Amino acid sequence: MAANKSQGSYYTLFLVAATVLCAGIFFWSGGMGKLLFVVGAVGVIASLFGMLSIKSLEGKSALKSSPLAMKLMGAGCSALGWIITLVGMHLTPSVVGRGILALIGIGVSLFGIIVILPAAFNKNAVWKS
Amino acid sequence: MKLKELRTLSLVLCVLAIALAMGVAAYAQAPAAATPAAPPPSPVTAELAATAAKAPTTADLAKGDPGGTLTGTISDVPVGDPKVGLTVGDVANQVGQNKIAANFIWTLVTGYLVMFMQAGFAMVEAGLCRVKNANHTYMMNFMVYACGLFSYWLIGFAIQQGGSAGNGNLGGLQSLSVEHTTTILGKTWGLFGGTGFFLSGHTYDVGVMVLFLFEMVFMDTALTIVTGACAERWKFLAFCVSSSLMGALTYPLYANWAWGGGWLSQLGTNNQLGKGYCDFAGSGVVHAVGGITALAVTMIIGPRIGKFNKDGSSNAIIGHDVSAVLIGCFILAFGWFGFNPGSTLGASANGNLRIGTIAVDTMLAGCTGTFGALLYMWIKTGKCDYSMSGNGLLAGLVAITAPSGFVSTVGACIIGLVAGVLVCLSCAFIEKVMKVDDPVGAVSVHGTCGLWGVLSVGLLADGTSNYGGAWNGVTGSVTGLFYGDPSQLVAQLVGISTLIGFVFTFSFLLNLALEFFVGQRVSVETEIAGLDIPEMGQLGYPEFVVKPEPDVLLQAEKQYAVA
Repeated sequence: MAANKSQGSYYTLFLVAATVLCAGIFFWSGGMGKLLFVVGAVGVIASLFGMLSIKSLEGKSALKSSPLAMKLMGAGCSALGWIITLVGMHLTPSVVGRGILALIGIGVSLFGIIVILPAAFNKNAVWKS
Repeated sequence: MKLKELRTLSLVLCVLAIALAMGVAAYAQAPAAATPAAPPPSPVTAELAATAAKAPTTADLAKGDPGGTLTGTISDVPVGDPKVGLTVGDVANQVGQNKIAANFIWTLVTGYLVMFMQAGFAMVEAGLCRVKNANHTYMMNFMVYACGLFSYWLIGFAIQQGGSAGNGNLGGLQSLSVEHTTTILGKTWGLFGGTGFFLSGHTYDVGVMVLFLFEMVFMDTALTIVTGACAERWKFLAFCVSSSLMGALTYPLYANWAWGGGWLSQLGTNNQLGKGYCDFAGSGVVHAVGGITALAVTMIIGPRIGKFNKDGSSNAIIGHDVSAVLIGCFILAFGWFGFNPGSTLGASANGNLRIGTIAVDTMLAGCTGTFGALLYMWIKTGKCDYSMSGNGLLAGLVAITAPSGFVSTVGACIIGLVAGVLVCLSCAFIEKVMKVDDPVGAVSVHGTCGLWGVLSVGLLADGTSNYGGAWNGVTGSVTGLFYGDPSQLVAQLVGISTLIGFVFTFSFLLNLALEFFVGQRVSVETEIAGLDIPEMGQLGYPEFVVKPEPDVLLQAEKQYAVA
């Protein structure tokens, strides 16, 4: 099973609900704003769960499950590098010092992206079996 | 009898009318004895009056103006008060309007050029994919325009540009006045904008509309990069949702930080780092955001069936249309003349005449990028690889996008050449070391070379540009390390760190959530059959006889089908 009517319906719901949600943000200060926001958010969540409900009907993909913790660790490492850079901006007024800290931050982020995440995704990769 | 009476009555009325008219004229011509004498006209006013007197009359214009010397004169300047006649104020107002009109036209037309790049992306990506996925790949490039545009109109533009008031090129844009901020150690940092939802309220404004069109096509360029990297196995529904979210959140956030008055642009004013993060036309904001998001999604959806062997070696999966790829590259190169020179957001005033330099820098970087990739592949493999040559052109263009407004032609050539070689190295690294399958090389072209472009501003900006005397609120010209300002390089490094640290993580987590809810990848059956029929219901080329896949791919597909 590939593309189907249910997918179209849930995507339509997603778009309509997102529109209502954004209208809620736009009219936030008015009385209707918060109501629209809640209705929109509920609609978006409903559309996502609708998509989840038909996900299993679409057949098995050429992917094997890989360790989620390792994936999150890779993403966390990437974010940590950014935080190092940000903190570095306030740690020292020196241009060289800030530059070095930014480079360290970039290195940490790259470690997460280039080393940890590929290892996570390739650990149980289908092409290995 | 009646006729006679009528004639008499008409005569009387005519006489009365003539008398009345003569009386009014006489009254009008009579000197106003009660009012004081008008001051003598100033020399400028007198000159305006003299010029107006010499202007071609309606009768002159009625004869036609084949030489174009009579059309467009002082007669065409609108007069504010007809009683007073043409004043210096009227002329000044018209000059102001002309400046803004020139800038509006420039920004709109260059925006149209950028919009046309979608066609180039579609051709390049579809041409590099197999024929059984042509319809699907074209459709992703087609629909990304609608998905991105709609979500950007809903909320993306407000997040990005909601606090970017003050652009004199487009009339001030004063209605974009809300930037949500945070204060850290006594310094205020912009986080995201807050006006412009649905382009309604005060943002129903002519200047805002021009800015929206231009920024929207940039955003859409970033979105369409992802479709190339994920081609041939991305579920269409997941693509639609992912693109909508990227146009609403991921892209606008980073674009706000760099262009919308956000914290990256404030690194100069708050932290004395050069002129703050500088990204003239979007090597980072557009291309690196697109390329890095593409990397995140490509990791999640995994490689195509048959791309990697058991031992980790990779197979080349050849595209189906060389002509589409190379013509697409040319369309992109053409559109780039909108991308970079258009990013001045004007042609008149504020140093905008540098658009000529920007356009030439763009051409040259594309040229040296092509040479860099072609020569690298020629020396390495002995063959002139068409796909890497095309990617070399694009890599040069991507890399020059951020520095195009700040570097000389020599700098542009260096930037392009480095990008051309870099894209070849990056493609090999991503495929052979990271085992990430990127069918069109989008991560390398836009991600890697986008980051190089951002970095090159901090190295090669020559300090000669002058866009109104300041950039990001810091007086002076953007100057890189090699021209005396190392702090600019640090600002660029902070931008790079944000791209790979924040944008990647954000995109990764967002798409990981979508993988859970929607499922990013098509089924094995769909992938083996080709995505055209199962996902689109129609082959891209229904009358073509499709050649069987190479043996190595057929074997892999059989294994998956059995499994």
